[in-house]
Amino acid sequence: MSLYELLRGPLLWLAFGVFVGGMVVRVVLFVQLSQKKDKPIYRFFSWKWLWLSILHWIIPLNETAKKNPIVTFVGFVFHFCLIVTPLFLLAHAVLWYESWEISWWSLPETVADYMTLITIGCGLFFAVRRVVLPHVRIVTNAADYILLAVTLAPFITGYLAYHQYFDYQTVIILHMFFGELMLVVIPFTKLSHFLMFFFSRAVTGMEFGRRSAPSW
Amino acid sequence: MAEKAGFDPQVFKKAVEEKTNARLKMWLEICAHCGLCADTCHFYLAADGDPKLIPAVKGKKVLEAFKKKDKIDEKWMEDFYWTVYGECTMCRRCTMFCPFGIDIATITSTGRGLCVSQGKVPKNLVKTIESYYEHGNQMEITEEDWVDTLQWMEEELQEELPGATIPIDKKGANVLYTVNAREPKFYPMDISQAAMVFYLAGEDWTMSTKGWDDTNLAMFAGDLKAAGYVSQLVRDAAEELEVKRVAITE
Repeated sequence: MSLYELLRGPLLWLAFGVFVGGMVVRVVLFVQLSQKKDKPIYRFFSWKWLWLSILHWIIPLNETAKKNPIVTFVGFVFHFCLIVTPLFLLAHAVLWYESWEISWWSLPETVADYMTLITIGCGLFFAVRRVVLPHVRIVTNAADYILLAVTLAPFITGYLAYHQYFDYQTVIILHMFFGELMLVVIPFTKLSHFLMFFFSRAVTGMEFGRRSAPSW
Repeated sequence: MAEKAGFDPQVFKKAVEEKTNARLKMWLEICAHCGLCADTCHFYLAADGDPKLIPAVKGKKVLEAFKKKDKIDEKWMEDFYWTVYGECTMCRRCTMFCPFGIDIATITSTGRGLCVSQGKVPKNLVKTIESYYEHGNQMEITEEDWVDTLQWMEEELQEELPGATIPIDKKGANVLYTVNAREPKFYPMDISQAAMVFYLAGEDWTMSTKGWDDTNLAMFAGDLKAAGYVSQLVRDAAEELEVKRVAITE
């Protein structure tokens, strides 16, 4: 089996398995421990404050958006492109079709190309911010740079692959490797916030809400 | 100034395990280190933007306590003590600006609880906690002095509003009115003014000889056992007097 086939087959399964399984375990552990030691969550449980808290931060309707409009804007664009580009990329859709005959809507290639560049640009903005601002630098550790690199690597290699810069075979292998690496590290690092965000916002929303105070 | 010196690693480890909960673990794991909490903190702003004072740094120290629970020593503890008691008022403003809603106040409170396990609590807070246990209020006011103060205020009140009273231990009243112990100690007129409002509003209310202090400095100290005891005093008073609700002073 070639390296390409390995990454395209078993390792991809493994990566998806660790990613999905890891996150399921994270959520189960959270719910189990919280039932024992975080009783206020259940005592003051409220769907209303749960959704209000999540919605005000999913849409930037909060104090931070007013106080830090640039970071909010860049953060938003970054996360949007980060999720939408790989899901609706034509080349990825083709792979899904080849393997499973599943087909769905995909982005025009030029648009996806720009979105890739935007993702990388936003990532660089965050990297620069970490270096330049003293109050961000002080809480930054090596893991923050590494995780940012791991997140951007699939986009950089994907861009290079699409334009066929360098040796295509090498670049596409690196692209798959970094994509799988990113999936694998999510459950074990702060990247798990993609899902835990909702739990954290929910518990804080309810904690503020039970005093009729908005947390946004 | 800490109440007691010395460090007991066994007790510390046990306290860490006891205080680990799902929210705390999640928050300490997902903090993205974005720094958006920085200029929401009055300590940071008052120190002309000293980065060491941003909320995320304080949260990180608590994370350290949980991660390195076997390697903590007295020196680390001393620094930690100043951070959790001296650099955060647990106002929760940073939480309002945190995209994840990470509750630094709760995290600080947990940190204070770890200090409590080592007997490291600011002296004045220790004094108030002792007073709660001994007198049921933070200002060492005896029951006799308390009742005296209420009767004295009732007399003053009646000079202005004949017929107005300050009911004590009236069973089945609608409202149990509780105060901050500073009021009988330093500003007793506040009590007669509240009584004026109750009287003019025609409210069926009472004050209690026990469980009348609604402050809870034990909670502020991070001593949750004592905090529970203090809250229970008010609850017990309310149940004994069979009131419908408890009102707390402004």
